[in-house]
Parts: sequence; C-alpha cells; structure tokens
Amino acid sequence: MSIEALTLLFFGALLFFLLLGLPLAFVLGGVSVVFLYFTWGFDSFYMVASQIWGTMESFTLVAIPLFVFMAMILERTGVARDLYRMMHLWCGGLRGGLALGTLGICAVFAAMVGISGAAVVAMGTIALPSMLERGYDKNMALGVINTGGGWGILIPPSILMILYALITGVSVGQMFAAGIMPGILLMVLTAIYIIVRCHLQPELAPALPKEERGTWPEKFRALRAVLLPIGVVVMVLGSIIGGITTPTEAAAMGVLGALISAAVYRELKWSILKEAAIRTFKLTGMIMWILFAAHAFSAAYQSMGAQELIEGLMNMVPGGPWGIIIAMMVIVFLLAMVLDPVGIMLITLPVFMPIVESLGFDPIWFGILFVINMEIGYMTPPFGFNLFYLKGIVPPSITMKDIYKSIIPFVIVEIVGIILIMIFPEIATWLPDLLF
Amino acid sequence: MSVMIAAFMRGVTRLNDLIGRWVALLIFAMFAFLLLEVGFRYLFNSPTVWTNELTQMLFGIYAVMSGGYIMAHRGHVNVDLLHSHLKPRKRAALDIVTSSVFFIFTLALLWFGIDMARESMASWETSYSAWNPPIWPVKLAIPIGTALLVLQGLVKLLEDIAVAFNLSYYTPEESRSEGDQL
Repeated sequence: MSIEALTLLFFGALLFFLLLGLPLAFVLGGVSVVFLYFTWGFDSFYMVASQIWGTMESFTLVAIPLFVFMAMILERTGVARDLYRMMHLWCGGLRGGLALGTLGICAVFAAMVGISGAAVVAMGTIALPSMLERGYDKNMALGVINTGGGWGILIPPSILMILYALITGVSVGQMFAAGIMPGILLMVLTAIYIIVRCHLQPELAPALPKEERGTWPEKFRALRAVLLPIGVVVMVLGSIIGGITTPTEAAAMGVLGALISAAVYRELKWSILKEAAIRTFKLTGMIMWILFAAHAFSAAYQSMGAQELIEGLMNMVPGGPWGIIIAMMVIVFLLAMVLDPVGIMLITLPVFMPIVESLGFDPIWFGILFVINMEIGYMTPPFGFNLFYLKGIVPPSITMKDIYKSIIPFVIVEIVGIILIMIFPEIATWLPDLLF
Repeated sequence: MSVMIAAFMRGVTRLNDLIGRWVALLIFAMFAFLLLEVGFRYLFNSPTVWTNELTQMLFGIYAVMSGGYIMAHRGHVNVDLLHSHLKPRKRAALDIVTSSVFFIFTLALLWFGIDMARESMASWETSYSAWNPPIWPVKLAIPIGTALLVLQGLVKLLEDIAVAFNLSYYTPEESRSEGDQL
C-alpha cells in the first residue's frame, strides 16, 4: 500500500476510535500496533516496548511530576487562593481582569517550565477553580488556561527549542532569545482579545461590584500574597538563569519553595502532602502513558515512510518560497496534534531544513514558527494533547465538548500572531541579532 | 462462578490501589535526591555520580507503574462527545468493542516487555555510566506495570459485559462507593 493511503487510514483510524470514547493513550498505542503488524509483521512490536523504555529514560521528563507536585501543594495550602484574591482586588473592577491576571501568571509559569503539559496541568489546578468560583464563563476560563499554558514551549527555557537547536545546529541561546518577543506578542494579542470580548459581553467575565472591590489598605495588605509565589519563581528561574541547576533540578527547587510556602501558611501537614502526591501521580501517569503511546506512534509512522511522503509533498507545493513555508507550517501543525515533538522533528526537519536554507530564510525565524505551530497543534481539537491534560483536572461537570469549544477563538488569535511573525520576521530575529 | 468473578474484580482493583498509593510516594524520593545533588554540588563542591541517574530510574518505574492505578480511577482521558449522549448499556457495549484496541496495544507491550526484561536479566544489564547501576529492575517494571494495566482493563471489560447484558456479578453502584473522584 502507498504511504499516502496508509497515512489516511492511519489518521482515520485514530479519529474513529477516539470519537468512540477509547482513551487517547490506548488509541495511539493500539492503532500503531495494528499498522506495524501490517507493514513490518509481528516482530516489529519490539519497537513499541523499546520506545517506552526510551521515554522512561528521559531525564528532562522528570520535571513533569515535580512541577505538577509544586502546583498541587500551592493549590492545597491556600497560596494560590490568596494570589487570586489579590488579583481580584486589584483587577476586579476591570471586566475580564482575572483572565488577564491568569495570562500573566501563565507567562511567568511558562518561564519556569519548558514543557507545555506541566504548565497546563498546573495552571488548570490553580486558576480554573478561582475563575469559575467568581462567575467566569467556563469557555473563557478554559481557553485562557489552555492558551497560556501552551506558552511553556515558546517562552524560554524550552525543551522543544533545545531539541530544535540540537537537530538543526543553530545556537540554543539564540533560539531562546528569539522566543521572548513572539511570546510577548502572543500575550498582548490574547489580552486584546479578552479585553474586547469581555467589553462586548460583560457576562462572560463579570467585574466585581463596587462595594466588594476593597479599599486601598486592603489592596496593599493583599499584596502580601504575591510574596511567596514570587519567591518560588525566583527560586526556579534564579537557579536556571544563574546556572546553578539544570531545568529538572530547578523543578525540585520549585517544590522546595512550595513546601516553604506551605510552612509559612502552617499547612505543612502529612495529610495534605500525601493527597498532593497521589494527585500528582494520577496526572503524571496520565501524561506519561499518552507520551509512551505517542512515541510508539511516531516510530511506527516513521518506519512506514512518513519522510518520503513529506518529501513528495514538498515537491508538489505551488506558490514559490512562501507557498513552501506555509505548506511546512500546515504539516507541522497537523503532525503536532498526534505525534510527540521528537518524532515530528525527526520526520520533518531533515526534509525541511535544506529547503528553508536554500530559499534563503533564517533558520532561527523558521524555528520560532515551528515551535508556535507545534503549540497551536497541541491545543487544537480533536487530538491536541493539552486538551486531554486539561480534561484530566477539570471537575466532572466540564465535558470534552466544552474544552473543544472554548479553544476556537484562542487558536484564531494565535494564528494571527504567527501570520504577523511571518510578515515581520524582525519580531523573532531582532533580539537574538541584538544579543549575539 | 459470579462470586469468583466479583472477587477477582475487587482483588485486582484493591491491588492496583495499594500499589498506586505506595508508588505515588516516590515523588518525595525524586525530590529529595535532586535537592541533595544541588546541595552537594554547591555547598560541599562535590557533585555525586548517582543522584540524577537514580532519580531517572525511579521516575521510569513511577511512570510505567501508574497505568493500572489510573485505569482503576478512570484517569485515562478520553473524548466523551459520543459517550455523554449514550445510555449506560449502549455505552458499555461500545466500550466492549473498543477494548479490542486497548488489548492489542497492552498485550503487544506485555509480550515484548517480557522479552526485553528477560534479555536484560540474562546479562544482569547495567547502564554503563560512571556510576554503572543495574538497570534490569527498571526494565522489569515495564512488563509488571503493563500486566497491572491489562488486569485492570480486564476488570473494566467484565464491568462493561455485566452492564451491557444485565448480569448479576457486578452492579455499577457498588464500584462508585469504592472508587474516589480524581
């Protein structure tokens, strides 16, 4: 069978079983095993087991449970609750104020975490209950968390950028620097969307009634709530930027910060820690089994000849250099919905990079577009992994349909962002050119 | 017969629950070892060769052993677009059909996980790093974790069969009181 037909069948089978309600991890794993059987036979299943071993051996992934654990402790001990109370006192008068505050916290969190899954889970745990409690529309709240959490891979440090730099040979530092301005751009665009939308439809994100907005002394007293979270941020970011720790070890510093905060709140109790540990286990396990299966899926798809398919597609694209770049973006976006980042990069970059360079485009700029596209792929229905991670933490009253619906306007905002970066490459290249 | 099936279902769920509760505590060990490494390196200027590798091994076990526990608590996330429109009996019937994909994946993984673990144990494989610890226990965790997941998948299948065909060995109410919400 040709690879084109296999690809259609492969993705069709995924969609079919996913809609029937089988968990994503088993859909990815089961479909890869079936297709491996028909292309390479029974013995190729060994690849599935060895892919899982490869995932277990990744030291960077150790950061996932630690960042999730940190968020669980902050949420359970009341640190997060006070942070939101503060934001409500200060931004409560503004329609959508809390959503804007959440965006800001997401950006800071993205600066601590290099993996988008951990950021989505953490922000969902901390921010979602606070927004729902205060009468925010669930679509607004879910969308903000999903889009903000996804910035984990765009705002440095970013595991994806390190991988991109390793495969293409550009400098990691330049990639990190290039991610900052686009990150801010996306944040501003999303903030504009929230402000406009909430201005037109105040019921989505109600402002506080005047008498509950608090007096100035109250506002300043509430500011104390920021001290502890800022302390945690400083511990995590400081240890990465100061070169004291690797990103994984920095996650452990974050947990230490969260434990200190818990002690300050006199909530450092075994019962709370144990509950946080068990919730962390459930969420990390859910993420890891999806990643196990996604790795197997990538390997299966690659072994069936995905690379030749993409090479063939590239030769057929009309529209000159820009047509090719746009086609590449679409391919990355589609693959990001079902494959893990390493798989996507191994399949596409060896084909893309020579073309990008021969057309005279900047590989750093292309890398930023690549990363943003992956991020959009992660949050786009039906497969986007972040949607599933979010589903893992929401209360039972929120269905997958709600999450799917919530994300649409935010995806459009991000696409506007990516178009801007394509038209004005300086947004990405200005800072690295300045620094290096 | 139905008593034995019910006992099997309860037994597997309890086993996964017990294992999950203990494995979940590994997060404290991972945290402590990483912190220890930072401390040794900066306070005493003597980095260790073993902390990061040990943490990584613990994480591998932690991740792969979670499958059955999460299955028991309905923590593997799915798309409920169709599910939420179906009556329990139809939903159970659908889940029986799709469970074939689940078993294809997990049984293939179990088979080759055993293969890989056996190979590794035959040579008492080590990691060939500076510390060079044995890594066969981590590889052994793959078939064990997968087996726990398969068993819990079997329990889910038995539940669905009972619901779809109105069999007496299982009623949905009793499980709800035992399991807790995420």
